[in-house]
Amino acid sequence: MASQGLSYDGCNFFRQRLVLATLSGKRVKIKGVRSREDNPGLRDFEASFIRLLDKVTNGSRIEINQTGTVLFYQPGLLYGGSVEHDCNPQRSIGYYLEALLMLAPFMKTSLKATLRGVTNDPTDPTVDLLKSAAIPLMKQFGIDGEGFDIKVVKRGMAPGGGGEVVFKCPVRRSIKPVQLTEPGKIKRIRGVAYSVRVSPQMANRIVDSARSVLNQFLPDIYIYTDHMKGANSGKSPGFGLTLVAETLNGCFLSAEMSSTPQGQGDPVLPEDLGRNCAKLLLEEVHRGGCVDSSNQSLALLLMTLGQQDVSKVLLGPLSPYTIEFLRHIRDFFQIMFKIEVQKPLEDERKGGDKVLMTCLGVGYSNINKSIK
Amino acid sequence: MDGKVKKQKQHQQKHSGPKAEKKKAKKQRGSAEEDERKRNPKAFAVQSATRMAKTFHRAQDIKTRKHHIPLVDRTPLKPPPIVIVVVGPPKVGKSTLIRCLIKNFTRQKLGDICGPVTIVSGKKHRLTFVECNNDINTMIDLAKVADLVLMLIDASFGFEMETFEFLNICQVHGFPRIMGVLTHLDSFKNNKTLRKTKKNLKHRFWTEVYQGAKLFYLSGMVYGEYQTQEVKNLGRFISVMKFRPLVWQTSHPYVLVDRMEDLTDPDKIRTDPKCDRTVSLYGYLRGTHLKNKGQVHIAGVGDFQVSDVNFLPDPCPLPDAQKKRALNEKERLLYAPMAGVGGVVYDKDAVYIDLPASHVNQQQEEVRPTTELVQSLIDTHATLDAKMAASKVSLFSGSATLDPTDISEQSRYEKSVWDPKTQRERRKVLFTEEEEDEEDEDASGSSDDEADESVEEEDQNEDDLSTFLKEARLESTKATAGGGPPVKKQKLEEKEGEGGETEELAFADSEDELENSSEESESEGEAGRARDSGHSDDMAKSESEEEAEQGMCMIRFSLNSWALRWKEGLQQKASEAFLRQQEAAPNLRKLVYGSADDSEEEEEEEELGGLFRVSRPQKSKKFQANARDCSRFNPDSSHNWDLEEMLNSIRDCFVTGKWEEGQDAATLLKEDEELYGDFEDLETGEIHKDQTGQQDENDEDDGDEGEESLVKVDDEEVQKNKRLEKKRRLKERFDAEYDDGDATYFDDLKEEMQKQAELNRAEFEDVDDETRVQYEGFRPGMYVRLEISPLPCEFVTNFDPHYPVVLGGLGSNEGNVGYLQMRLKKHRWYERILKTRDPLILSLGWRRFQTIPLYHIEDHNGRHRLLKYTPQHMHCGASIWGPITPQGTGFLAVQSVAGTKVNFRIAATGVILDLDKSVTIVKKLKLIGYPYKIFKNTCFIKGMFSTVLEVAKFEGASVRTVSGIRGQIKKALSTPPGAYRATFEDRLLMSDIVFLRSWYPVSVPQLYNPVTSLLLPVGQKDSWSGMRTLGQLKHDLGIRNKPNTDSLYKPISRAQRHFNPLHIPNELQKALPFKSKPKQQQRKGKTPKDLQRPSVIREPHERKVMALLHALSTVKNYKRNKAHTLQHAKHKGFLQQKKKEEEAKLKRQKEAQKKLYRVMGQLDKKKQRSSLKGASQDD
Repeated sequence: MASQGLSYDGCNFFRQRLVLATLSGKRVKIKGVRSREDNPGLRDFEASFIRLLDKVTNGSRIEINQTGTVLFYQPGLLYGGSVEHDCNPQRSIGYYLEALLMLAPFMKTSLKATLRGVTNDPTDPTVDLLKSAAIPLMKQFGIDGEGFDIKVVKRGMAPGGGGEVVFKCPVRRSIKPVQLTEPGKIKRIRGVAYSVRVSPQMANRIVDSARSVLNQFLPDIYIYTDHMKGANSGKSPGFGLTLVAETLNGCFLSAEMSSTPQGQGDPVLPEDLGRNCAKLLLEEVHRGGCVDSSNQSLALLLMTLGQQDVSKVLLGPLSPYTIEFLRHIRDFFQIMFKIEVQKPLEDERKGGDKVLMTCLGVGYSNINKSIK
Repeated sequence: MDGKVKKQKQHQQKHSGPKAEKKKAKKQRGSAEEDERKRNPKAFAVQSATRMAKTFHRAQDIKTRKHHIPLVDRTPLKPPPIVIVVVGPPKVGKSTLIRCLIKNFTRQKLGDICGPVTIVSGKKHRLTFVECNNDINTMIDLAKVADLVLMLIDASFGFEMETFEFLNICQVHGFPRIMGVLTHLDSFKNNKTLRKTKKNLKHRFWTEVYQGAKLFYLSGMVYGEYQTQEVKNLGRFISVMKFRPLVWQTSHPYVLVDRMEDLTDPDKIRTDPKCDRTVSLYGYLRGTHLKNKGQVHIAGVGDFQVSDVNFLPDPCPLPDAQKKRALNEKERLLYAPMAGVGGVVYDKDAVYIDLPASHVNQQQEEVRPTTELVQSLIDTHATLDAKMAASKVSLFSGSATLDPTDISEQSRYEKSVWDPKTQRERRKVLFTEEEEDEEDEDASGSSDDEADESVEEEDQNEDDLSTFLKEARLESTKATAGGGPPVKKQKLEEKEGEGGETEELAFADSEDELENSSEESESEGEAGRARDSGHSDDMAKSESEEEAEQGMCMIRFSLNSWALRWKEGLQQKASEAFLRQQEAAPNLRKLVYGSADDSEEEEEEEELGGLFRVSRPQKSKKFQANARDCSRFNPDSSHNWDLEEMLNSIRDCFVTGKWEEGQDAATLLKEDEELYGDFEDLETGEIHKDQTGQQDENDEDDGDEGEESLVKVDDEEVQKNKRLEKKRRLKERFDAEYDDGDATYFDDLKEEMQKQAELNRAEFEDVDDETRVQYEGFRPGMYVRLEISPLPCEFVTNFDPHYPVVLGGLGSNEGNVGYLQMRLKKHRWYERILKTRDPLILSLGWRRFQTIPLYHIEDHNGRHRLLKYTPQHMHCGASIWGPITPQGTGFLAVQSVAGTKVNFRIAATGVILDLDKSVTIVKKLKLIGYPYKIFKNTCFIKGMFSTVLEVAKFEGASVRTVSGIRGQIKKALSTPPGAYRATFEDRLLMSDIVFLRSWYPVSVPQLYNPVTSLLLPVGQKDSWSGMRTLGQLKHDLGIRNKPNTDSLYKPISRAQRHFNPLHIPNELQKALPFKSKPKQQQRKGKTPKDLQRPSVIREPHERKVMALLHALSTVKNYKRNKAHTLQHAKHKGFLQQKKKEEEAKLKRQKEAQKKLYRVMGQLDKKKQRSSLKGASQDD
């Protein structure tokens, strides 16, 4: 057999490469992982990610050299089933969950992953954000079924962690092509203001300040307060807000903000956080599109893996992460997207430029699912 | 009669009266059906509910049976030619039929049918004919790519095995259209037998294909050809045929190769005839989109990575769309490069002229140089250059040797080569990595020259033609080396002069560039175009950035060499990318994909052992390589969301904002009013006019007065548009309402698919092919050229155009090898059952390969038990190590592909279920041990295990004896090793055998051996043999198993059995009752004399007395017996009498009792009645 493999330098976009390698069955070699740094090699969270990948796959081969600067990954088949994983608290569960969201529909058996660690931190997309934006996005692609959900059992803030999330996802044989070209107007804004190990009043203060900004646009705003106590509250104190704007056409734009982890940086006031988060949502609305900026790559992947039909998605400006993801998609699936910039009309007040992404799916079918 | 014709009375139509009125009324009413229903409602009433339900049911059944799962129609607008495979046993007339069909369609005659023949058969039809020979490899490959199968059957002989084998292959790999053709019908002399045979064959064919499958009859031959009319009819049938999409074909790209060129450097072949070849394969792309650099499988060769794909102009194009009925002669094209039709074929960078090979070859053969010197010169495998390169000179002894490569690097630009094998003239463009100065070039050119001259000297004896060609070529090379600079070199120099960068542009990215490239594409080839658009890019860049890069000029001048130029380009590009990002509208396509293209340039330079392509991120991005991996997109800091204008910029994103014209609720309401504003209240008779319309009219009037006529025209236009819009809306609404009643899920789904298909067609329609190919890959219908680089040399040297080359694209995961689970059934016509671990050749997906299957079956508890042999008439599971193929793909298995046996060759068929080693196959393993010490129910058992550890693993396991006593392993014993203590439910005997039933997991052997039948020498291509089965090996090597000596037959000698006497202990004997006590049954010996009783001898008198007494007693006995019987009889009679009397007595008593009861009852009644009476009286 002709060997096919891809090779990359550096540990940036580590998850993309491994996820795409797993889906495409191509082996991948990542070299020069922090080779110039004082502390070379893979970090703990990356190792933890690899371990998670190992848990959901069957027959994959991972080789890491002594210093951890070179990684070779030969993917196996995605197995799924019931998986428990203690995620490294250096990154939040969102880091792991983003990859699982991409893999979960293509497993042999439906996935039930219990992830433990940091549920909310300021760097990665939090679990709440993925729950409110990524899940409805995936439903647009025909991934739906019983128990397709992310459930936050325990909330654990950075840096201590101690949270727990249960992610369940059914499997699909193929993905529907989508035409998400018209986002529609935003009809309602929902959100979750959470607080753990701090005064429950914090959440209310966040809600009030966020509403004060958003009420200029829309009356239909409801922000839930979620205060977790006792065993469900994790190890560190903190609070935060996730906002989701739902449009008439069923697109979801989300924004979020978390308090700075305990002992790192300046503490933030809940009022400031609420206001800033609302502004972030406005920024997201300004960017626009049918998919919010943190889920762009997920949408593009599902388009790529669709049947051999044309899919279209309107996005806001492409994030650097998405741009790299597009390059990786070309490497792994030989798919290029037609990228068209849609400029807003003169008198339109709908935010900035939009990007219309069009592609022809590769006709991917879930080879892991067995037939009886 | 009398000849007089009696006149009939004419019909008089009534014009008045009741009859006329009736008729008039009938005419007026028109629809008679409704009338009937009204007039006779009973006749149309429901007679039987069940019957009605039944009819309804049936109607629904029929309706639903017509439904198929709707699929998106992905057939391209310009479909590839239809592949028609002509199959049949040898000597049935396949080639004749193809020849006749080709003649029918194109009026051309073709000699040998060699490889696929493509023809234009109609305005929208193209056909590709392929002949399938009797080799099962060919049959399998062609069944996978066929759209239509013409199955030739020799009617004079009947069906042959090949026919059924092919049908079976088709069944497994998706069922293409099959049309039977009966030939040799002229051999029947008797018309009746002919009819009978036809009928028999037809019915058998129907059972195999489907009821009513088309079977065509070719009645006879005329001058070695089939009858024109019949062939014409067959052609018509073919061209109107519709095809259903097959799952495998529509999900994979594939090419039926109709042309093959060897692109390997001839020099390399000369030095090493067995070197790996670079080959370009040509053919129409079918199935689905093919991605560049994808993986393909060449059936019969193996898996390869495509190094490059290009699309070429269609060699057999469909005529331009004009309104006419038939094709003219020019448009009836025929394309069959393998059959040698058309001497000139075009490639993207070369033209091949085919000369009649046999003629040239022979002459060369004759004038072969005989002198040894020349012979040796010819035999040199290395050129003078190479030898020069290999020789090393050391200036001083002990110093390092000098290579010619140290001094100068070879660089050639163009080379024209005579390939004696293929008899073709070719021009080859060669590039070396680094460009050298002129002097070096001259040197190398002269050396080239020398080499060529030497070659010329050798070839002096060759025939005129070749020498002529040689000379021409020599001139050209001289020109290259000398004054006239070659074109390509010039281009390079030009570029150097400009000081620009060489940028390989994947596709034009901005619109102006698109224009540029389209302009230039007409004049130049694509390679030139890419470079030229690069030029224009450069120019633009140099203009814009001249000021910015003043400092960089120094560096630019210092960097002369070509190799370093890309780095400079990078810098430029990085800065440019940055500038673009700053701009309001960045060219995203360039940003995303453009820069990555440059990295590909590097990739080509760095390749690690052919295993991995090194993709180096850009230097400017080097710092990002190890950056934090996070999907968060940080917000633009320039946006200040406290400002009102910023807030206003997104107002319309919310439902509270302004809506578009077509969606605004107010406008929609207004429109509705326009549509439905007017209505008449039927009760009151009042007519409501809509006010808006009136208002509009008024407004219009006002406007008209005040404004000019030009505006009026505009207004009219607007009005017209409005009306049209109105109409459209009304129609839409009506459609929606009308369809809703009948709309089903199925209809919705169909509509959705239809929409998707339209979108698929429309999306990339207006993009030019070069760009389109980048987005969606090469689409089916294109004529493509695939370059595949390391192909085994046997593919070229043993190439036989009679064997089809099928090139199938592989999906994303299908290049890997892994474990497969499948469901398999031995074919019912295959005579033998299949044995586990016997190698089997499978045809799965595109591939044919040999593997070792393990058969298994699922027990009731879900255990997968290994089977030694496949079951006779049942499905079983099979596990193999093979190529990953999507589940649900069918496969077939044969035991060997070599030769044609008389028997049915297809051993098994089945389907892939799972692609994982998820099933553990186990086989039963019985461990046997022997008790060596027996306590009550406890035993020490040895011989089952050999160490304590093994026992420890099996502690608690249940064991059993042959006699059925169950037990459990308790604990290991220290000595002997492997012995253990076990408890049983009963006491064991020393003669008992204890066994432990366990299940041992079996691993699937990892054999994956692709059938490389195409690499075999010509004439032996059907003799591929892989790994032999154990049985074959033993047969071939003459090894016989030593039989188990216990199984051998021996003369039976049965020893006499001795039974020991029963021994009963004394104690027991005493306790036994006498009956059961053992008797002293020893035979009485002779009684001793003293114990013998003396015999009595009577006196005569005594004898007399005895006799008398005897007589008397006899008499007495007789009398007594007689009396006794008499008495007995008497007593019997008495008993009978008594019985009778008794019965009579009973009867009497019963009657008396009856009487008594009746009286008593009457009395009771009387009493009751009297008491009732008395009571009433009392009241």
